[in-house]
Amino acid sequence: MSRRVEDQGTGIQVSRRGFIKGCTMAAAALGLAETMVPKLVEAATSPKRPPVVWLHFQECTGCTESLLRASHPDIGKLILDIISLDYHETVMAPSGFQAEKSLDDAVSGNVGKFICVVEGAIPTKDGGIYCKIADRTAMDILDDVGSKAAAVIAIGTCASFGGIQAAEPNPTGAVGVTKLLSGTPVINIPGCPPNPISFLGTVLHYLTFKRLPRTDQLGRPLFAYGRKNHDQCERRAHFDEGRFVEQFGDEGHRQGYCLYKMGCKGPQTFANCPAVRFNDADVWPVSCGHGCVGCTEPDFWDTMSPFYERLPGMTIPAGGRGIVDAATSKGKVILGAAAGAVGIHAAVGVGKKIFGNNEDE
Amino acid sequence: MFYERHQAWSVLLRLFHWSFVLSIITLVITGLYIHFPWTNTMVIGGSSFPMATMRYIHFIAGFVFSAALMVRAYLLLFGNAQERFWDFLPITPRNIKNLFTTLGRYLYLDVGHEHRLGHNALAGIFYFLTFLVAAVQVVAGFFMLYPESAFWQKWGTLLFVSQQQGRGIHYLIMWYFGIFAVIHIYIVVWNDIFSRNGLISSIFSGAKYISEDY
Ligand code: SF4
Repeated sequence: MSRRVEDQGTGIQVSRRGFIKGCTMAAAALGLAETMVPKLVEAATSPKRPPVVWLHFQECTGCTESLLRASHPDIGKLILDIISLDYHETVMAPSGFQAEKSLDDAVSGNVGKFICVVEGAIPTKDGGIYCKIADRTAMDILDDVGSKAAAVIAIGTCASFGGIQAAEPNPTGAVGVTKLLSGTPVINIPGCPPNPISFLGTVLHYLTFKRLPRTDQLGRPLFAYGRKNHDQCERRAHFDEGRFVEQFGDEGHRQGYCLYKMGCKGPQTFANCPAVRFNDADVWPVSCGHGCVGCTEPDFWDTMSPFYERLPGMTIPAGGRGIVDAATSKGKVILGAAAGAVGIHAAVGVGKKIFGNNEDE
Repeated sequence: MFYERHQAWSVLLRLFHWSFVLSIITLVITGLYIHFPWTNTMVIGGSSFPMATMRYIHFIAGFVFSAALMVRAYLLLFGNAQERFWDFLPITPRNIKNLFTTLGRYLYLDVGHEHRLGHNALAGIFYFLTFLVAAVQVVAGFFMLYPESAFWQKWGTLLFVSQQQGRGIHYLIMWYFGIFAVIHIYIVVWNDIFSRNGLISSIFSGAKYISEDY
């Protein structure tokens, strides 16, 4: 039902050319040969393709926005076209009871067959009361819908790792989908927002091959998150050559030198930003003169900020809440204290030698 | 005074020690450059590659460090009597007693002195801790060196979650080594003076001198 309404309301219609173009871009991102494109197109247009339920929890809807408002309209349209959206709170027409009914219909009519896309983190503290939709907690909805899905795609850093809600002190106990759901395969497409092509590629991969793409240890598809930004960056030559921006607006910045000293987190961040880029305008933060902030990594708000420092105050995993704030100054103090202790110890020893109460003689 | 010469350290252990020392010095200097590149080439076309060079040296030294660590791991189990871990960790009554006498001695208390050919138990604890810390450092290092390898990703993610946190811990451990070096060198000199067993020369020659009446 919602499909039809969308088609009328937003005039979403993808030309065959645009459709094939989008599939080709996704195939390129997936690292598939051109000969696979017809297969992707076939899978994407198959009437038997799975329905999609799109759940919104604690988030800003930026992931949806970035998908729909891609400057290249075909991608956004393509996504809406290939995934028959039966329930998507942002774009569907029904509201209230009708909306709940759509969700119920989509889920109960397709148990084990539909794809569930989750956008946003899930608060778990105090029984999950910090995010409720139709009087049900996000935890409850995810448990109900997610466990009946064929696969769950966690879109964005919030759904993947908790995102900004989970940043210290995480007042609502927000977590990502993988922490809560077991039994259903989950794939993470982190990013703030993630690249629409990475999402599209994952969906097309699923439709074509009937399984999710291979992932890394953090559940991110390797085709998009298999390499570090730093290793694909156009400023990398400047890094190796030791040419750095020292200050925003300085000569090095105007020359497009490496942003390492400005706190660029490209060396710690797995993503395809420099290769796939955003908005079809061939940009990503570094190409615009701003360092990477590492938004595809877990806990990036805590571990990567302040964004303009190389090694900011960060949480040590095993140490729980321990914060290494300005590690250098602390290190110097500890080193100084060690040297001081050594000095005092030595002074006592020397004193003993001089004043002769040393039985060793 | 009559001194007896005893062989304490094998050639392999001495090789381990010095390759460890030299690699650590190299790693700290190049590591600090990578952390904060204090040069700025500015001119295009210089082809001096300071960062690439520093990283290259850092990686080579890292391999030396790892190799040294592997040698020590072997010696912990199969080295000579002084080199095996049960000789110096406070897991036997003899070593637990030694731990307290050593602490007392370092506090200038008159608690007697055990003639030992190998490490005392206090040193043993810290050498073993250093061994473990170094192992974590190696995992963090290879995690960053081979970010795309499934093997290192597995261990790196397990221990550090993300590259950023692995990098932070790698950096903190560098400070551990600096602090260790200060205390280690001081204590060794102190022992060389107060215990008169030729401790410093033993890491070159392998032999310690033990006197019965001292
Ligand atoms: S700008 Fe960032 S990602 Fe690019 S080379 Fe420099 S540090 Fe690496």
